[in-house]
Amino acid sequence: MTARIKTQTLQMSAGKDDQMKRSRFLQQGRKIGLAAAALTLFAAGAALAHGEEGGGVALVVQGEAAFSLSPVYHILVAHFPVALWVTAYLFILIRTFSDSEFAVRLQKAIWPVAALGTVAGFVTYGLGLTIYQWSAITESPLGRNHIMLATWTLSYWTVMSVLGYRFRRHMFDGAQRWVTFALATIGALVITITGTLGGSLGGTPSLVTKSLNWIGWNVYNTFYLPTWMLVVFFAGAALLIVIGVIGSKRRV
Amino acid sequence: MNKRTKYLAASTALFSGLLVLGWVTHGTGIVKDDPERNIVIPDELTSELQVKASFDGEKIWFRYRWPVDRPSLFNDVLVYQDGAWEKRGGEALGPDPDFLVEDRVAMMIDDGSVPLFGRYGGYITIGDGLTTFTGTPETDEERTKYLPSTRTDPNDFDTVKPESDLETLRAAGQFIDLWQWRSSRSNPIGLGDDGFVAEERGGDAGTGPYTTNWDSATSQPKYMFDPAVAGSTALSIDEVIAGDVGFNDTYYLSAETAVAFDPTYAWQNGDTIPRRYLRPTDGSRGDVVQPKKARWRNGFWDVTLERDMDTGNPLDDKIFRDGGNYDLAFSVFRNASTMRWHYVTLPVSLGLEQPAQLVAERIEPGAEPDWTQPWTEIKTFYPGQITWGQLTDARVHPGAGRIAARVPVAVRHSEEQLALYGVQMEFAEEIRAQWIWTLIASLSLIVGLGININLLMRRREEVK
Repeated sequence: MTARIKTQTLQMSAGKDDQMKRSRFLQQGRKIGLAAAALTLFAAGAALAHGEEGGGVALVVQGEAAFSLSPVYHILVAHFPVALWVTAYLFILIRTFSDSEFAVRLQKAIWPVAALGTVAGFVTYGLGLTIYQWSAITESPLGRNHIMLATWTLSYWTVMSVLGYRFRRHMFDGAQRWVTFALATIGALVITITGTLGGSLGGTPSLVTKSLNWIGWNVYNTFYLPTWMLVVFFAGAALLIVIGVIGSKRRV
Repeated sequence: MNKRTKYLAASTALFSGLLVLGWVTHGTGIVKDDPERNIVIPDELTSELQVKASFDGEKIWFRYRWPVDRPSLFNDVLVYQDGAWEKRGGEALGPDPDFLVEDRVAMMIDDGSVPLFGRYGGYITIGDGLTTFTGTPETDEERTKYLPSTRTDPNDFDTVKPESDLETLRAAGQFIDLWQWRSSRSNPIGLGDDGFVAEERGGDAGTGPYTTNWDSATSQPKYMFDPAVAGSTALSIDEVIAGDVGFNDTYYLSAETAVAFDPTYAWQNGDTIPRRYLRPTDGSRGDVVQPKKARWRNGFWDVTLERDMDTGNPLDDKIFRDGGNYDLAFSVFRNASTMRWHYVTLPVSLGLEQPAQLVAERIEPGAEPDWTQPWTEIKTFYPGQITWGQLTDARVHPGAGRIAARVPVAVRHSEEQLALYGVQMEFAEEIRAQWIWTLIASLSLIVGLGININLLMRRREEVK
């Protein structure tokens, strides 16, 4: 009898815990949603308020877009995801090499910071796509490269945010911390390249742009893969999923 | 390390390895020569041109120096083969392996009358559908560069304005003065060539430095070498192609080196006669001359052209005035290439003792330049196939709005960048399609990685 009551009490307690978790999750989701909406409204509002640039233009430009936003707001907002993702990377770096209380405290902030960065990243990406017509920006090698790297960065850090949310402190359990470290380092690299390409597109190439040339990529050449390599990439994606499915069925 | 972690590590290694492989192989498989579409990519996309200028109040001199591995002393030639004379050379897609295309330097000059020339240089002269551009049908008449203001539709070659409008534009200075030097068709007799770019690229009024050595009625050359001067009536095509004929040989036809063609001569297969006969110029076209014949030395052409500052032909030439500022743009033809396979420069400002990129130094009236001033180094680049219509179309060029705002090209683009863009425009559709596929493939790889890690990463309590 006593045992049954204990079990019921434990079940009720577990149910309450679940409810509390769900509630916390919803609250966090609401906060993130509100932050994203505010950021979007701020950016779009500011961009619209900016209005037309220049004046006294006499030359006829063919095919002008009916709607476009000044690039300055994409550039302005872009600093938010960059700062947040790089901060998340810094925290990952510290936690990877330290088990101190300070490092553990930072670790708790990793996923919210990364997720906020991802939300800000989507806003930035959207603003970026409104600057030039798609047909024009995809005709520019530098434009193509910036879109490519921005897509990689956004998708990659979306993955990292989901991982951070799902696994939290466990990302640093045992050897997994090195996997986390390696993945985050790749993430930091793509952020850096995306940013420098954005700078080049805005007319201010940096030493990072030049250093990419030293390691085999002149950023004024479109980054594209040969067809056989596309096949390898698709096969690699499938293989990663297969490895994941097979590995997940193994005993840990 | 447990099994799942090993899978995780292997997956991370696989992902990283694919990224490295992608990095190593990117940018391959599309950009390559395609003669069917008139596409030949030069080995070098950029090069250098050195320029100096001097003036004395009456005359102005420009000295040019640019690298050429092998000088090309011939342009089109007539080669005897099995009883008939065949034309060879003078045109080629990209570099001519036989070196039967001459070297050249050309300089466009404006005094500020041509809108946007000082900001975009020769780009404004490249309309749609010019000869040798991909997709342009071959026509008997060469479709040359032109100024946008000479067309009712600036992007349509065939919409030339009425003659009266063209005359009005010309009187307003809306033309570009074009000086040329040719290693085969002007240099041997110490001349340049004076032309213009307006409704077309053409020669000024008068007689140019060459004419065609061909008698259509008899299908034979009009002239051959004077054996008394040249030692024979013709050259050997094998020696010409091999580069065995040089400055110290008689390699051109002129009043001093040629005699009337003798059809009764015992011509041999491979006998070769230049298809051009060089002659003195006259009229406005003869304004640009050389103080002395240019020579190629130590891997460089070193050419000097001179002209009266005021030629008295203001409808053909831009008149230089003491203290004036002008806009220039150069093109250099090297490695036996012609047509659009040239190296061009961005616009360069010229000041006659005025601050500019290229400052012309004043010398004493009647003196010859001593050329002691330093060279002005100018980067040249292969322009590829980019038209003014594309550059000013916001659907194609993200910078079209900046052109409308008159932002100079040099503010936004380097020569190297423009060369790479020019080449990529020649494969625009293929590269765009491959880029989109790359975007999709790389995105799928990241998604694959995300699923993989979410499946493989474990929580500590799962171990217990």
